[in-house]
Amino acid sequence: MACALRLSQLIDDHNAKHPDAPLTKENIYLLEKAREVGAHCLSGALLDPRSMRELLPGFEKEAPLDAAVVKEAVYFLTRTGKLKFPITPPAMRDHGNYVISINKFVKWLGSKVEEAGITVFTGFAGSELLFDSGRVVGVRTDDKGVDKNGERKSNFEPGYDLKAKVVILAEGTRGSLTKQLIGRFQLDKERNPQTYGVGVKELWELPAGRVALGEVIYTMGYPLTFHEYGGAWIYGAKDNLVSLGFVTGLDYRDPRLDPHRVLQEFKKHPFIAKLLEGGKMVRYGAKSLPYGGWWCIPPLAGDGWMVLGDSAGFLNSQRLKGIHLAIKSGMLAAETAFDGMVKNDFSLGLLETFQDRVEKSWIKTELWPVRNFHQGFESGLVAGAFHAGIQQFTGGRGLHAHYTNEAGHRRMEPLKRLPADGGPEAYIIGPAKGDGKLTFDKLTDVYYSGTKHEEDQPAHLVIHDTNICNERCVTEYGNPCKNFCPANVYEMVEAADTPSGLQIHLNASNCVHCKTCDIMDPYEIITWVPPEGGGGPNYDGM
Amino acid sequence: MKILVCMKQVPQKDAPLKLNEGGTWIREDISYEVNEPDAYALEEALRQREKHGGEVVVITSGPPRAQQVLREALAKGADRAIHLEGDGFVTLDAFNTAKAFAAAIKDESFDLIFTGLQSDDYGFAQTGVILAELLGWPHATIIMQIEKSDSGIRVKRELEAGFFQFVDMPLPALLTIQSGINKLRYATLIGIKQAKNKPLKKVSFDEVKLALGENLQRIEKLYIPQKTKKTEVLQGPPGEIAKKLVDKLRNELRVI
Repeated sequence: MACALRLSQLIDDHNAKHPDAPLTKENIYLLEKAREVGAHCLSGALLDPRSMRELLPGFEKEAPLDAAVVKEAVYFLTRTGKLKFPITPPAMRDHGNYVISINKFVKWLGSKVEEAGITVFTGFAGSELLFDSGRVVGVRTDDKGVDKNGERKSNFEPGYDLKAKVVILAEGTRGSLTKQLIGRFQLDKERNPQTYGVGVKELWELPAGRVALGEVIYTMGYPLTFHEYGGAWIYGAKDNLVSLGFVTGLDYRDPRLDPHRVLQEFKKHPFIAKLLEGGKMVRYGAKSLPYGGWWCIPPLAGDGWMVLGDSAGFLNSQRLKGIHLAIKSGMLAAETAFDGMVKNDFSLGLLETFQDRVEKSWIKTELWPVRNFHQGFESGLVAGAFHAGIQQFTGGRGLHAHYTNEAGHRRMEPLKRLPADGGPEAYIIGPAKGDGKLTFDKLTDVYYSGTKHEEDQPAHLVIHDTNICNERCVTEYGNPCKNFCPANVYEMVEAADTPSGLQIHLNASNCVHCKTCDIMDPYEIITWVPPEGGGGPNYDGM
Repeated sequence: MKILVCMKQVPQKDAPLKLNEGGTWIREDISYEVNEPDAYALEEALRQREKHGGEVVVITSGPPRAQQVLREALAKGADRAIHLEGDGFVTLDAFNTAKAFAAAIKDESFDLIFTGLQSDDYGFAQTGVILAELLGWPHATIIMQIEKSDSGIRVKRELEAGFFQFVDMPLPALLTIQSGINKLRYATLIGIKQAKNKPLKKVSFDEVKLALGENLQRIEKLYIPQKTKKTEVLQGPPGEIAKKLVDKLRNELRVI
């Protein structure tokens, strides 16, 4: 949305200055797979206003902001206790940022884009990139009205081939088209593999005064152990709403670990349980985020395309913030595209100037010093704190100029190498049962995500070889999909004709589009493709 | 045939509802969608136009956000739209809403008016039939099928328990359409693009104010039902449970 809005501003300026040679917005199209702009957007969220002030000076006056951050605290949680950090680490100081609902914020930005005269096609997913000998020449939208066997229904509507001079991918984390692009051109070559986390979030309505408007609490530690990376956020929003969530690094070792369970156990900690007492959970959702940092970012432009935001991996893993970087990268992509429109030149050479623009911008100034931050935590919290400390004094360099890392899903260990009872992770493996007040089972939570899909359509979670699920994975990893999926999409059901007696079953219409399965499956056989446009969660107020 | 379709924007079915401060309605900061039976009414109108030619006009009343309903209808193929725009329309009851519609279309001549069977929010099922009465037209409700006949139309009404009723009606007429009468189409990219240039007429509250009267209905209070039922599990050996159960039925509930 920021990209489209910036492009529109540049065109308006140009047309005011050059009434004789106006540029048109007629042929700028924005595809949005959600039924409504913002419906699939989920974040904590804290907004660093830097890029918004560049995009729309004075935006604070009209944007839906909950509050400026008024106080922050960081805790380390033990099983029953809590240690408050005596001073808030600099990266977690949030004064000057705003607590927002990213859903409301994007919805608002979307209305700006439409007012500016750019056509937004909501309910249309980009299902395929169109190529012409090494150049991206457009996007194919999703077919609508196909039944679960792949047959056309009476209201079948084929996808369109939208031909374009430039395709800008801003799909969020692990974008399905971005994945096609990275695979086809091996854009991850000579890069660190991207590492991810999955944030599981609940919105709560609490008795007045429990969490102050604009209050920010971060926790580390419990219920995760030293083997996992992650932590929680609690933000005080308007109307006594509190955003609460837990990010679990998708590089944990025990395949039985369940990120949704982690959030439920977190809420049972006395400190949190007391905070939530008498409150009510009103909304649920989950989304993955990329926190590999600078060394994971693929080339940002190529022949006919640019990629930005979370799709490219623009996230500051130390501050756990990416919204401002997504906006800024969108603005820079818009400036590049505008340059192309003025010169009528969309050659590789021109589009590649996007890369230079990013490298010369404050995006790099912000991300470069934390380029090695997340990798330091690969061997656990203690080593991570050590590396982060050294990096603090060496401008982000640390012990190595370029810390490398492994892809998170490769760090998963087979069951036979793990304690049968789960060992120290015993209380975060397997599904949460839920008491219906403080904690919830997955299905209850999924209900609160407002997720809806046309039921009669092909499964949009493509498993390339279900024999692996039904045979190898049952014994090797115990089917981690049923644990890492925060929406109960994957189930192992009894079957007579498989050697294990179990068979994978998909509840695709539960899917909240978080992409965790596409990321974390140890055999890399799950591909997330967009379902029929318009389907998915409804993250109202999230 | 010239067909008017009355449409309404309602809270999305799974939106997290919260009461407003006065406890008279819900807070508005949620997602909205097209009232479900209205979507079927629109689809039926488009199909009738495809068979018999003519024009499909859509109308709604409500705040600026309600325009989305009209945009979607235009994208699916409606020819033009009328928006009774303003917060003043939000508080009208069904009687006054029907009066406002009647005033807004007084210079038009429709053969048919379709409304959804009822709205997913208030569920009154009144606006359509009152509008027919104000126009002096015949109406039929819960329509599952519409065929053109020599003298007008023949419609199929859904009754209880799997029964249907067929009714012959003259034109003009008003029909309230049941969900499921047809299969909804998807808006197309070209349709969405073209919708931007289709006529959308706005009618302000002041323009129809004189036609309106006092509201005859008013919501006094809206509240979330208190849970009063509770489940009690009797425990112990079967004999004891039976005794306890009889005791409860006889002395607490007094049903035996």
